[in-house]
Amino acid sequence: MVSALHIITAALAAAFLLGLLKEQQRGLAYGITLLTLALMSWISAGWLWTFASTGTAAVEIFTAGTEPPFAINLRIGLAEAALTLLINLVGLLSALALKDTLLALGRRAMAVWLVAVMALSGIVLTRDLFNLFVFFELTVIASAGLVLLSEHAKNDGQALAAGFKYLIVSQFISAFLLIGIIFAYHATGTLNIDDMAAAAPLLGGGAAQAFALAFFLIFIAVVAELKPFPANGWALDIYESAHPAFSALFSAATGAAALFAVDKLLLIGGDAWLPMATGIGIVTFVAANLLALPQTNDRRLLGYSSIAQTGLILAVLGQRDILGEHTLYIAGGLLLSHAIAKAGLYWLSGLIAERGLEAWAALRGQPLLIFAFVSFISMLSGLPPFPGFYAKWELIHLLAGEGRIVLLGLILFGALLEAGYLFRWFGYIMKREAPTEVVDNVAHKFGAVFATLAALAAAWALSLVWGELAGLQFDRFNMLLALPLLFALAFLLLDWLPVWVKNSLAIAGLLAWFYLTYTEYDPLRMIFAVIFLIGGSLTLLASYHEHGRRIGFYPSAMLMFAGLAMLIRATDSFDFFVAWELLTVGSYFLILRGKHSEPHALSYILFSLGGAFLILAGFALATQGAPYFDLAALADLVQPLAPWVFLLLAIGFMTKTAAIGLHIWLPGAHAEAETDVSPMVSGILLKAGLYGLIVLLLTMGRQDFYGVELINAMLWIGALTALIGNLLAIFQEDAKRLLAYSSIGQMGYAMFGLALMNHLGWLMALMFVINHYVYKSMLFLSVGGVAKRTGTRQMYRMGGLITLMPLSFIATLIGIIAVSGVPPLSGFGGRWIFYNAILTAEARLPMILIFLAGPIAFLYLFRLIYTIFLGQLKDEFRRVKEAPFWIVLPQMIYVAILLVVAVVPGLVLRHVDAYLNHFFPNGGLIWEGTTITSQFGYWNPVAIMIIVGVIFMTLFAWLLFVNRRAQKVKQFNIVFSAERPFRPETTHFAWNFFAPYRKALGFLTLPLVTLFWSTMTDLLHTAGDLARRFYTGNGQTYAFHLLAFVVIVYLFGMGVRP
Amino acid sequence: MIKRAIALLLTLAVGALFASLLVGYVPDSELNHTARYYAERTAEDIGAANIVTAIIVTYRGLDTLGEVTVLFISAAIVGLVLAQGRVLNNAPNNAPRQTRAPVSELLSTGSRVLTPLILLLGVYVFVNGHLTPGGGFQGGAIVASGMLLLLLADPLKQFSHRLIAVLESLSGLLFVGIGVLGVLLAGGFLDNRLLPIGTLGELFSAGVIPVIYSLIGLKVGAEFSSMLASLSETNHTENSEET
Amino acid sequence: MISLAQMAMAAGFVLILIGFYGALTQRNLLRMIVAFSLANTGVHIVLVAVGHMRGRTAPILDAAVPVADALTRVIDPVPQALVLTAIVIGLGVTALMLAYALKLHARKHTLDIAKMTELKW
Repeated sequence: MVSALHIITAALAAAFLLGLLKEQQRGLAYGITLLTLALMSWISAGWLWTFASTGTAAVEIFTAGTEPPFAINLRIGLAEAALTLLINLVGLLSALALKDTLLALGRRAMAVWLVAVMALSGIVLTRDLFNLFVFFELTVIASAGLVLLSEHAKNDGQALAAGFKYLIVSQFISAFLLIGIIFAYHATGTLNIDDMAAAAPLLGGGAAQAFALAFFLIFIAVVAELKPFPANGWALDIYESAHPAFSALFSAATGAAALFAVDKLLLIGGDAWLPMATGIGIVTFVAANLLALPQTNDRRLLGYSSIAQTGLILAVLGQRDILGEHTLYIAGGLLLSHAIAKAGLYWLSGLIAERGLEAWAALRGQPLLIFAFVSFISMLSGLPPFPGFYAKWELIHLLAGEGRIVLLGLILFGALLEAGYLFRWFGYIMKREAPTEVVDNVAHKFGAVFATLAALAAAWALSLVWGELAGLQFDRFNMLLALPLLFALAFLLLDWLPVWVKNSLAIAGLLAWFYLTYTEYDPLRMIFAVIFLIGGSLTLLASYHEHGRRIGFYPSAMLMFAGLAMLIRATDSFDFFVAWELLTVGSYFLILRGKHSEPHALSYILFSLGGAFLILAGFALATQGAPYFDLAALADLVQPLAPWVFLLLAIGFMTKTAAIGLHIWLPGAHAEAETDVSPMVSGILLKAGLYGLIVLLLTMGRQDFYGVELINAMLWIGALTALIGNLLAIFQEDAKRLLAYSSIGQMGYAMFGLALMNHLGWLMALMFVINHYVYKSMLFLSVGGVAKRTGTRQMYRMGGLITLMPLSFIATLIGIIAVSGVPPLSGFGGRWIFYNAILTAEARLPMILIFLAGPIAFLYLFRLIYTIFLGQLKDEFRRVKEAPFWIVLPQMIYVAILLVVAVVPGLVLRHVDAYLNHFFPNGGLIWEGTTITSQFGYWNPVAIMIIVGVIFMTLFAWLLFVNRRAQKVKQFNIVFSAERPFRPETTHFAWNFFAPYRKALGFLTLPLVTLFWSTMTDLLHTAGDLARRFYTGNGQTYAFHLLAFVVIVYLFGMGVRP
Repeated sequence: MIKRAIALLLTLAVGALFASLLVGYVPDSELNHTARYYAERTAEDIGAANIVTAIIVTYRGLDTLGEVTVLFISAAIVGLVLAQGRVLNNAPNNAPRQTRAPVSELLSTGSRVLTPLILLLGVYVFVNGHLTPGGGFQGGAIVASGMLLLLLADPLKQFSHRLIAVLESLSGLLFVGIGVLGVLLAGGFLDNRLLPIGTLGELFSAGVIPVIYSLIGLKVGAEFSSMLASLSETNHTENSEET
Repeated sequence: MISLAQMAMAAGFVLILIGFYGALTQRNLLRMIVAFSLANTGVHIVLVAVGHMRGRTAPILDAAVPVADALTRVIDPVPQALVLTAIVIGLGVTALMLAYALKLHARKHTLDIAKMTELKW
């Protein structure tokens, strides 16, 4: 094993050796630089391997042949090895990305680079306080010098100014550091960190106070290197102006080293200083994320994000009193995620010609780089399967266990802000106009591409490692090895295959998984399993219609299905949450594929992540410190915790079912999605939320929250959602939006049924689950097919398509009969059970609302079929053909299913009914032959089918007979006296179809909720925009900030400390 | 002036912090355990009469290596920054340098006499660093001041950057090399007992300390000289740009 | 009674504060650098003052301070060693700042820090 000391000596020797070369031998100098960095990485990697595989204790390295504390010593342990490897590798890869600049500037620049990397390793390795100072100063000087490298490329003086600002601030920092060190030495008689940590607690009286003051100066100086809010304006200027390869080092490696230095300091200071670290960290985390919101410069945005992440990790270090032995796992997970992702993103930014966020649309032609970008932002947002996810899970659980709720809330809030701007950025990449200058010549920028891809590989490798560690530490499964997820990820490798091959594989995969697991499901889960897996493969049939390769569709779709498949098998909170996040992410990518879906996909992911955070908080509260719990154990929770948990989980699940107030993401997301995606996200994905609610209600049931029966609140929410959803649907002009709003209403019914908490209510909710899947998938497909053929989704522009698209018409007709709940189709069964159910419940008022919602549904359904298929055909659509085969086929299958279920509803419901007896023993149905009896009456589906069929045929025949001599009227033959219609569509009968109702009920559809949420986001943006003006760009102002920061922390900290 | 008022306020707040440090300061009456170790053991273990030198070169040798590196990269960056400017400003015109009025006879003659003496003094100071106050840094600075004198006497004088760079790099390499030899042959990195400790107070004593300190002296002298040269050359280009 | 060390220390602190105040109020880059040099000098004085002990001498073992008496005759050598390092590092930073100032002046033809604010927010 090569001593870790040689990380330092190798770099120094190489740096000095470079001076011996001639100025012209630049290639040779560059080669030596790379070799040295590789050697340094190799030494670190060797140690990391040793520690990781054998678990040996840390190794001390003495210098000067004398033992510490009398001579400087270094130490390498697991954390040190990992960090130096990170630093050296980032140094190596950045040197690759910097090739042109380094070659142009020559050996001196390379020597400075080597020294910078060496000094960062030194910060990590040293155990001597003053030596730490020396390495810090080396870092400062080398960094200030390296900022100039970018001056070479751009030559606009910005980097010069930024570097000078950095030097100003560092002068203050080093003065504080030196004064602190000398007084700490005076108080303890040593400079060795471990020795000082041992000596400090033994001090008494005046010495202890003097030491505390000295330590404060050291601590605040090192923390200032972490760019805490608000003393960080200089760092942002550096991030913005420096060469991205340097920023990668500055963000990933410098941040990591400085954090480790803080960690060492906390060892000296002890627990008394932890609150200060936490406070500075969390304020920085939230503030930096808030300030990042209005950013438009990519590198500055990444700078804000870097600062935020560093703040978060500082806050985590400050929680070590409760995190204990898990600190390394949590802080390490967050740190490595941040470092790899941020380095990767900075390298990537080296490929982008312009600095606006939209300019990144240039990446669009490069699937691999897009995948890298997605991996990096998922990593930063703490999504599975990346290490940050495990870290976040553990962190939130431990915080909740100790009751540190405020901190927990702030962390989740900040994380949501961060996810907001990161995913907004991703939306730009996928949807904005690509700049004329695309990613320039990838071969030319080989270094940056190579570095980015290396970071990508590291990201996934690390996920595997963290998953394994989770298995060792907390007995969790490694989610990356979960079969459904692997299957989904496999599509990343298969993305070069044509659509039909991938589609067949996907369908086969879903069915095979069902076959493998179907024995495990109880009847309740079986319903969901069938919808998710069999139903999923049915909707996938429509995807055969697509041609080419459809890059990115299958990985996203299968990720969603993997999440769904894992969700219903999850038995404990961790598995459940992993599955929840996976399906959220997968569906987000799916929705984003729509042509105009950028803003809607963003609001979807934000609401979903917000909801997921609430669920996470709920789970964390429920476990009380344990890493996870059996979902069934939710039932054992008691006051005062239980209602809080219930509330958090219920709101979390309701974001997915788009309950009123949390619904604004749904219409856009569902309507703008691609034709075959809409049924997936509407028919299938919404059920995940209902599944969550079912699990919640089955275990926790009725909860009393300060006198409010929560289940009643839910009843009201369900009823209101049904009413408002339906009302909004009738005023839509866009057919897919109409269907989307209708889904909101339908989910309201289902929630209402569940909230009734009786046998029939649940039966009805489950019936809704099945029915909604079938008819909403079918309707979205048929409307999507029509939209595909006509090129519009505006209903008033269609009309009379019945003869041209008869199959779509039949599907729509059957669909709306089923939705409206009139006999003879299955919708009626749902209604029948439903009315029985509410008769058994006591909630009269919401019941009235639900009743009201019923007829409203008729209105929009009537409009749907009437304006699209009936009436007169437009000229431009004379040649329209029936929807494509693969889109019609699943519709016909759905028609068949609806008819079968209509006749024999018992096929499914019987088992569910019986199963529900476990939970609600009273009030079940009696199934005899074809008759179903409740306490209020009976229902015979077969008889109804026959009766309705007869009536229908009679009426139909009569109509044909009466109408044989009907006269046709032109649609636009309305005469306006000397008035030309302002907008032609206003003359169409189908425009603003329900105007009278709008007059009467319009006040109910005012977009108050939308207004609320947009005001919220505007407020956040404005706050961020105002606050960032605080960074005036004047180096002197930054010095004021720093001193003010020191003084404020001093006043606060010394007041708080015992 | 609000700005000045805030500046004063902040300075006073920091001053209050410093004041409490000052008030809480109690001078030691005897050496603390670290200092005691050095006082007792230096003569025996290191063999250097100057305890501060023993600490700088051996006990805290890693700091000193870092310190030398600070100078090294400062010089490199200064050179880089100013060289960049030169390329920028001077690339198009190869016009001959403008000549200045010669400096005074006194200065140029004096510098010719004094420079060798200054260099000698510098060498003396760093060679004897382990015995007397002084050492590599001080000696190096003295050597560089000799260079400064030369530059003052003849502002257009060109030093060989190449020679300076080789001197600087070789001494740095040897410093690191001796340090690593310590790992291989003696007790650890920068252990001075590669060579015999000798008798306390003699020139050839304290193991490799005189060697290292001489290298540091050369290196520091070279680095200061290189910075001076870079700065003075830039000055010409600035001037020539203005004319 | 106020010792020499405390007086030196007080002087050092005052120097630091003067330097800080200057750095906060002077807008000229060169004046700022001078202010920092002042502050640095103050820091060095404080460093040395902390190691001072009444009635003792420099930690050099020679005829005046035999090895046997070292323990009682010499002052703490550590701050002396540290201050040397601090001085050299401070010098490096100052040189760097000067180079920056030179370059900034060449680029912007001003030395006013308030005029170097293209990057902000």
